[in-house]
Amino acid sequence: MNQTIEELTQELRQELIKQLNLEDMIPADFDENTPLFGEGLGLDSIDSLELVVLLDRNYGIKLKDPKEGRQVFHSIRTMAEYIQKNRAQV
Amino acid sequence: MTGKAQYFIQGIGMISPQKTFDNQMFLDEITTYDQNVLTAVVPDFKAYINPIQLRRLSRMLRIGLASATICLRDAGIEHPDGIITATGYGFLDETEKFLREMLEMKEKQLTPTHFMQGTYNALAGLEAVMIKCMGYNNTYVSKGFAFENALQDAMLHLEEHSAAHYLVGSYDEAAAVQFIASIRENHFKAEPIVNLNLFNTATKGTIQGEGAAFFDLTGTRSENTWCELRDVAMVYRPETKDALAASLSDFLKTNNTSLEEVDVWLNGITGDAVRDVLLKALEHSDLKSVPQARYKHLCGDYCTATSFALWLGASMLKKQSIPEVVKGPAFETPKEIKTVLSVSHYMNRNYTFMLMQRV
Amino acid sequence: MSQRVFITGFGIITSIGKNTTENLASLLHRRCGFGELNVLDTIHSRTLPACEIKLFNQELCELAGVPHGKGYTRTSLLGLIALKEAIQSASLSPADVREAGLLSGTTTGGIREFERHFYELMDPQQKGDFAQFADTANPGEHGERMADAVGIKKYIATLSTACSSSANSIMQGAQLIKHGKLDRAICGGTEALSRFTINGFNSLMIVDPNHCRPFDNTRKGLNLGEGAAFLVLESERAVIEKRKTPLAELRGYGNANDAFHQTASSPEGTGAYNAMNLALTMANLAPNQIDYINAHGTATENNDLSEGFGIQTLFGGAVPLFSSTKPYTGHTLAAAGSIEAVYCLLGLQHRTVWPNINFHEQMPELSVSPVRELKQEMDLKNVLSNSFGFGGNTSSILIGLA
Repeated sequence: MNQTIEELTQELRQELIKQLNLEDMIPADFDENTPLFGEGLGLDSIDSLELVVLLDRNYGIKLKDPKEGRQVFHSIRTMAEYIQKNRAQV
Repeated sequence: MTGKAQYFIQGIGMISPQKTFDNQMFLDEITTYDQNVLTAVVPDFKAYINPIQLRRLSRMLRIGLASATICLRDAGIEHPDGIITATGYGFLDETEKFLREMLEMKEKQLTPTHFMQGTYNALAGLEAVMIKCMGYNNTYVSKGFAFENALQDAMLHLEEHSAAHYLVGSYDEAAAVQFIASIRENHFKAEPIVNLNLFNTATKGTIQGEGAAFFDLTGTRSENTWCELRDVAMVYRPETKDALAASLSDFLKTNNTSLEEVDVWLNGITGDAVRDVLLKALEHSDLKSVPQARYKHLCGDYCTATSFALWLGASMLKKQSIPEVVKGPAFETPKEIKTVLSVSHYMNRNYTFMLMQRV
Repeated sequence: MSQRVFITGFGIITSIGKNTTENLASLLHRRCGFGELNVLDTIHSRTLPACEIKLFNQELCELAGVPHGKGYTRTSLLGLIALKEAIQSASLSPADVREAGLLSGTTTGGIREFERHFYELMDPQQKGDFAQFADTANPGEHGERMADAVGIKKYIATLSTACSSSANSIMQGAQLIKHGKLDRAICGGTEALSRFTINGFNSLMIVDPNHCRPFDNTRKGLNLGEGAAFLVLESERAVIEKRKTPLAELRGYGNANDAFHQTASSPEGTGAYNAMNLALTMANLAPNQIDYINAHGTATENNDLSEGFGIQTLFGGAVPLFSSTKPYTGHTLAAAGSIEAVYCLLGLQHRTVWPNINFHEQMPELSVSPVRELKQEMDLKNVLSNSFGFGGNTSSILIGLA
């Protein structure tokens, strides 16, 4: 499936909000470059694991090492780029 | 406990199938149910839990944490010395979610949140993180004894250190899984009834309830004190009414009290014609002269329902009033409410006593 | 005046032995229970090996002395086997047992049976043998089952604080004895493997598909295990009255909370430090009087770092010998506290320090490393056993030769 990065970031934004129950607490300036962990959205290690499953279920990518996740999940943008590069070909 | 130690309830947070989360009210508004499942009347959680934490919390965790916050604010303390919780079935809705996902996904690609939130000590752990309480922390899961185990644990600590404060809480959900699984045991009534009619039914089974309750237990009195908790006791599977009566008599004697001094007793009958037999026999014999209040028509039956009884007794003692809706038949209102006794059972296996005193 | 608390007996069953004698032999011969699963039916049986007891429930029923097909969950059966051995080991008469309290810790209870028969149990129209497990989706059920099977009525409690559950059972039993509520308490925990826990822990990505390596720099996580252990605690008064020679004394214990995160321990190991410190204070002992620590040592990156720092902070330049015995038994979750307390007792009795198997590479963050070899003919008087769990629960118990 050939999605553009923009389409992917849109899709990811919605998925993230749904999967992590973020509806009520999205800051106004939340965009594809906002850091997801630490400053920014303030997600934690359990959210990180949820994102690992999201990557597997939706895009067929298996992240074996949770530490690798820290770089991949830095922002929606970095996630989209990683997915585009590594997603399982249907 | 019969040493020199005393135990006082300084704060309460009660969230139940009635509007009990507001400590200023006392069963002024009654909620009725007609499908045998009673679910909690909840406050606005945002007033008690910050939104960043709120987002991931299951319904019951929200209820539990809100109840703890209400209790701490009511008690006027921020840093208790310990947190002890009790539950019978735990966070069964979360466990069900993880279980179903596990079975449907054939053990692949599972997310951790429901697993984590299904652990029995999740409430005690999250509360500790929320208020940064690094003290004693424990959770009891002994069905109808869990809440009393927790109270006793706190009481033993208070014997060692009377100025300490222990946050003792309980929670149980009206979970669908528990409801369905207990149909084979006739735990709940097969025919839908209106909860307020519970004690007029002569059929097997009771109604399912839920709730979370937190109490600040301390060894010293203050102007916030609701009442004194004199003692608790547990009796496992008494064989006859006489055996139960003998245990009750021992309990009162150990606490230098007799039935004549009890102003109101809180009767934990459940409306189950079969399982209530022993307690009803006690009601009609040894306890027949003591004014009786009942409560499981308001909160339903669940493992830790005696927490509702403790809230009820403490409220009666503090407010010196008894709501109409809990009064038993031919209730004679005492001039002053000084001593309240709770006698209850869960599934005709876990019998418990609690003795409360006005301060 | 508070009563002293003595240990007069114990019982145990794990993947390295179905009783004390077998466990001891395995400990001495470095025999571990790690391997593929062939009793529990799971898709992970080859990919996530664990420490499984190679006995089916029917065989466990025979060992426990109860009939098959009467709704005894695997957790109850393991518990009952260990409980009966403990009762026998302490030479308790039926009257002694009737006056005892029972405290048991578990995290799973009957979830193994509940998950197996879930769809049938959720359909009240269906009939069959599975219905014997209708009420097993709660942990308290196993405690009452065991109490009923051996005749205990005086005091029953079931605890669940994740991996520190049975340590807390032991502590609360001691509290009841110290305060004169009971003269005798049989305390411990039990845990059966289940798909629920295997998948739950796997979703947290802290399970090592290979044999775990506690305190090793290359550690990748824990192995799960199953088992049960119970200790018989008796008051000084009861011991004198019965003219018993106790095996050891429960000198101190501590329960604290890390209050850091629901599933992670604080990097500094504050909870670990506090729990151990409380135990030492209660026992009125200085850190340099501790001869050995049985660490929680699950081999997760987080625990071993946190616990390591906690130990170093408390003991300073004089960290005693320490090891994790989890490569032997796997992480038996709620039962870990009592199983490892039994291993401490065996160590004291046989003057032996158990090795931390699979350790090769020092963690750069720590200045100490665990014991690698079996050490015998040791002078051991006071030992600590740590158990830490999700929810920030940190517990430590201090056992001394009587």
